[in-house]
Parts: sequence; C-alpha cells; structure tokens
Amino acid sequence: MQLAVQHCTRYRYEHAARSSIQYLRLQPRNGPGQRIDAWQLSLPGGSRPPIIEDGFGNLMQVLVLERAHREIAIEARGLVTLTDRFNGRRQDALDPRPFLRPTALTAPDGALARHHLGRQRDLAALCTLQQAILAAMPYTPGATEVWHSARDAWAIGSGVCQDHVHVMLGCARLMGLPARYVSGYLHSADDTHLASHAWAEIHLEGGWQLFDVTNGLTQPTHHVRLAIGMDYLDACPIRGIRRGGGAEVMAAGVRVQYAPTDQ
Amino acid sequence: MTDNSYNEMFEPTGACRAHYDAYQRWLADTPEELLSRKRHEADLLFHRAGITFTVYGDESGTERLIPFDPLPRIIPAREWAMLEAGCRQRVQALNAFLDDIYHDQHILKEGLIPAEQVLANPQYQLAMQGVTLPHGIYSHISGVDLIRDGNGRYCVLEDNLRIPSGVSYMLENRRMMMRLFPELFTLNRIAPVDHYPNLLLETLRSSTPTDAPCVVVLSPGRYNSAYFEHAFLAQQMGVELVEGQDLFVSDGRVRMRTTAGPRVVDVIYRRVDEAFLDPLAFNPDSMLGVPGLLSVYREGGVVLANALGTGVADDKSIYPHVPAMIRFYLDEEPILDNVPTWQCRDPEQCRHVLDHLGELVVKETQGAGGYGMLIGPAASREQLEEFRRRVKANPAGYIAQPTMALSTCPTFVEAGIAPRHIDLRPYVLSSSQGVRLVPGGLTRVALQEGSLVVNSSQGGGTKDTWVLEDNPTSETSSC
Repeated sequence: MQLAVQHCTRYRYEHAARSSIQYLRLQPRNGPGQRIDAWQLSLPGGSRPPIIEDGFGNLMQVLVLERAHREIAIEARGLVTLTDRFNGRRQDALDPRPFLRPTALTAPDGALARHHLGRQRDLAALCTLQQAILAAMPYTPGATEVWHSARDAWAIGSGVCQDHVHVMLGCARLMGLPARYVSGYLHSADDTHLASHAWAEIHLEGGWQLFDVTNGLTQPTHHVRLAIGMDYLDACPIRGIRRGGGAEVMAAGVRVQYAPTDQ
Repeated sequence: MTDNSYNEMFEPTGACRAHYDAYQRWLADTPEELLSRKRHEADLLFHRAGITFTVYGDESGTERLIPFDPLPRIIPAREWAMLEAGCRQRVQALNAFLDDIYHDQHILKEGLIPAEQVLANPQYQLAMQGVTLPHGIYSHISGVDLIRDGNGRYCVLEDNLRIPSGVSYMLENRRMMMRLFPELFTLNRIAPVDHYPNLLLETLRSSTPTDAPCVVVLSPGRYNSAYFEHAFLAQQMGVELVEGQDLFVSDGRVRMRTTAGPRVVDVIYRRVDEAFLDPLAFNPDSMLGVPGLLSVYREGGVVLANALGTGVADDKSIYPHVPAMIRFYLDEEPILDNVPTWQCRDPEQCRHVLDHLGELVVKETQGAGGYGMLIGPAASREQLEEFRRRVKANPAGYIAQPTMALSTCPTFVEAGIAPRHIDLRPYVLSSSQGVRLVPGGLTRVALQEGSLVVNSSQGGGTKDTWVLEDNPTSETSSC
C-alpha cells in the first residue's frame, strides 16, 4: 500500500520577525514496515539545509532565517509504501533503557498513577490502560495547548493525541516499562485527525509495541513514522524560536491519501 | 567531632607538623590584632573588587562575600605528588567512562556497572549518543573534592564534572595573601598557581582541531552566583565573555555578534547548565542558551567545555563505581580512595541506612552544593523523620555515607585561632596535552565550630592553599 502525504505548516506574525530558527523533523526514514519512495521539503527562499541526525536517530534539518520575515511556510510531501503488516512490534538498535525515565511532560501525578496502574505488565493490561485513558480524556481538539503536560491534560479531562501519548508514557514508565513518543501521519477514512498524529511505543518482550491511544489501536493500520523521542518536545515535526514578530497565527494541515496508483 | 579529626597543623602530641614549622614560627611572632586588621583589609579589598557570590534561597537575594581566612592550608610536596597523580588517574578514568557509555558501552556489557543505573539515569544525555568528541575528552575542567579522615588519609568525596566553580577564589586568595603577608612568601617555598588561566586557555584552545580558534566564556549573566568568576576568567584569559543573546547559529556554525560583524566561535567554555543551553533541544523556556547550538555541536562545528552529558559520571549513584572504572580503563589500582557509600536503591543497603540514619550523611544522588543533604548526628528528630520519609518514597534518589570527620586547620575566628573543618578542591584540566593541575586548589572551611558543611552556599569560607616545593626543579608536571 502506498500513501501520498502532504503536510503544510504556515506561521504568520503580527510584525516582522528579525530572525528565526527551527528544528525540523519532517523527514521520515526507511524502516520496518515503511519505505520512503519519494520525499521533499519546500522551505522559505528555497533553502535546503543539510540533513543531520539527532541523538535518537531521527533525521532533522535546521531552518535559519536571518532576515526580517512575517511568514514561514513549510511543506513536506512524499510517497510512502507501508511494506508489511507486522504485528505492531518493532525491533531496532536503540537501547530501550533510557526510555524508562520520566520527563516534565510525561510525569503523571500520583492520583493518575494509582487510578490506572495494573499489576500486570503485559499487552492485555496495557490495552485496558489505553482504553481507560481515552475514556477519561476523550479526544477533543482545542481542549489543550501544545505545552500542556500529562498532568495538565489529565486535570482538564480531555485532550488530543499528544496528551493521550504523554499519559500513556508516564504510566508505562512508572510501571518500569521503557516507553517512547512517536510522531507521524495516519491515514483515516473519516479525516477527523487533521494535524499530524502521535502514538506511543512501549518496550515489551524485546520489541517496541505500538499503542495508538487516540484510536484504540495496537496494530498499525496506516501509520507513517516521522520521529521518536522521550516526549513531544523531542519528536515534534517543528520546534522553533524567533526574535520579534509579536503574536503568531499557525495553520497546519495534513493530507494522507492512497497514492493514485494504489487506489 | 573535632576530637577525632586529623589536625593539619599539629600532631596529636601537640607538636607542630614539619611542613608548618616556618609558618608556625611566623605566627607565634604575629600579634592576633595584626591578623584581625589584615583580615578586615582583605574584606575591604575583596568587596571593592566585586568578588561576591549570590546565595540561592536567601530571601534578600543579596550578594555576599565569601569569608576569607588569613591562615593558609599547607600541603607538603610529597603529599601533593600523590594527590596530583590520584586526581589525574581519576579524571582520566572518568573521561574514558564517558566516552565508553556514549559509544560501545564496554563497561556495561562487562557487567561492571549495572547498565540500567547508567542508561536510565536522568543525567545520561541522549543527545550525546553517536557524537564523537575531539580526543575523547568530555570533562575538560574537573573539580575533585577531597577530604581527610581521622588518620589523615585523603578520600574523594565527589567528582565535579559539570561546571565546577571556585577557581577564581583559589587565584584571588593567593593574590590576597601575597599582598597582605609578602614576607611569608620568602619564608616558605610556595608553588605558584597564577598560571592557571594560561593552562585553562591552552586546554580550551587544544580542545578543537581548528587552528587559532576563537574561544569564549558563556555565562548565564550577572544574576548567576558565579558571574564574578565568569568575568574574571574571561578577562584573565583575554577572551570574550558572552551571554546566550550574543551568539547565534547559522550555516552550521555558532557565531558571535561583534561590532565588526559576525565571528565564528570554535570553543565555548560554557558556564550555563546543559538543560538551558539550547531551548530547541532542552528546556524550551530557557533564555540563557543559544537556539540551534546542539545541532552545531553534534556535527562537530563547535566544542563545548565541558561536554554535555558529563553529569552521569559525577552522579552520586555512579560515584561508588569510580574505582572499578580506574581498574577497567587504566588497568591501575586507584591511588585515591572513595568514601564508603550505601546505595539506597539496594533494599538491603537501604535498610541499613534507615536503621542508622542518625549516624550517617544522606545525600540526594543528583544534589549538589550542600543542598538536599542530611547530616545525621547534627539533625533534629524532625529532620531525621523528614529524610526517612523521603528516602522511603524514592530510595534510588539517595545514597548515604559515614559521617566523615574531615580534617581541621587552624582558622581565625571571633574567639581567636581555632581548628575548623576543611576540604580541598583541586582543578584538573584535561586536553590532548595530558591531564594537568596547578599545585593546590581551593580549600574551603566550615567557619562554625564543629560544622562539616564547607559549601560557600551554606556559609563556608576559603583559605589560600600552599603546596610547598621540596626542591627547586619540581614543576607542574604533565603526562
């Protein structure tokens, strides 16, 4: 199955920003289950920064704008073939043990942990946990902000995929299971999840098991992996900072469709 | 506790130790009133020079002078030779350990250190995975904290591999002593320390393969407790003192804004905590760092001294393993001993700690600067119970050590000259030219009678530290 991905992000500033810099993790890698057939990034002014690797093995680029600008438009598009339907458990070279530690965004509060921690550390128990998380904080776009932590979202009682993943990671790590954040894209028939997607991977029996909390999945269906990390901050597609510019309006859109030849 | 402590100046019989002889004769001829006047003079001079530091947690937030004690701490040449070799060995092993755990992890595969204790440690820096540093040096500047037990045996209390501070006091204390008591420097043959800024600059310059590199000191700014030291070292080395906003990243390099336009920076002696160094990689709210710095660093476009991720090697839960590192990487026996340490992460050791809380010193594994620490024998019942709760709630976050006596050194206090507890922090510089130290270091002194806490943040003072030269040919050695 081949998917055509198009991911546009546009920042508009109230005034001209003097300079800006972004870490872009918008370059998916070949790996178990996915092959990148074509991929390209369109950046302001035709800039083509070199592709480098971060500490997690993600591909990244650094976009620097050193002149006044009121807008940044970034577009990623490409074709990805999802090669095999593996059982949702990946092997890779990264040592799982660093993914045991909590981060500021994932650390759950005591009440949350007590509420959800089962005694079992197997797939069935984690499925129950993921259902309970979704039930306790239904998918509600706009309910949380990107900087909200697992605790914040838990207190609000609703959230988006990012929040679901943070809560799931926090609980898994508390149970002594290495767990990591995955950002990526998902094709879904009903087109409800318009921004980029995120899910969790928990290290079970020698492999990384997928948990798509928001969709209640433990098997990948149409998941394209972009980047991994301890939490959103490590794996988010765009992380930037600027000097000047005042208020910001951000618009993002993701389209994931069956590629024309594959329909 | 003073009773069973090792006295640096006097034998238990009351006789003066040989290396203090000349000083003691001078002291006997010097009226206390003169010492008092000189100390007052020192306070005025330090104040005028702006040599102050800020105490965190002090409501008034005022800058304070670190009290200077006019009585020196003296180390004979032979003792120093052993300390120097011991510090050098230790820092070599620690750098080898850091290079190993961020690459092939031989020591973990051999099972000499539990892998999870290293890899799941919050100080293990994931961003350092797969980065190869010039000469494999992570800790360019290390501060090794030494104490002496009741028998006078030196032990390492902790290794400081992140941002060890205090070296400006070592230098200023020496200048002050020479100014106040010039005659002492003809009566004794005292090894000089004033070449430290030169050695530091050499260390920083040789940390990069670039010829004629541009070196800067990166400071969090004037509100940092050690700002004076940042400015002092930059000025002594003749390099720029910068803050995050003075630097920016473009085309894969770090550049400094100057009146003559941007200039590429090759080496950053960073006195900013790593969590604040790059808001795009670490703490996103940091205003102290340089956005994009990590991307340049990982590609080898700039050297950071010290490297990122050194904190995993000076973490108190890793400290007990340093002797094993020395044997594993250097195939040598440790010259300097560790202080015996119980790890509360081990249930059996934790039980021992909880059963003997009143006798032990308990420390947070990631604490520093004397914060988050319990001294059992000096603690109130409430403090003991508070720590018991904290250790039980998070055993892996604590270690415990016997309450070490710490040696004493005569110190000028309100009541006259009296023994006070001291420690010693030599500064160890690592570069492609070897591991080098200037003779001595910073001696910190707990000014309150019986107190064992020497940290300046907890009201400690400092002393000039003399290493006596045996013969005129001995020099700062390198290997």
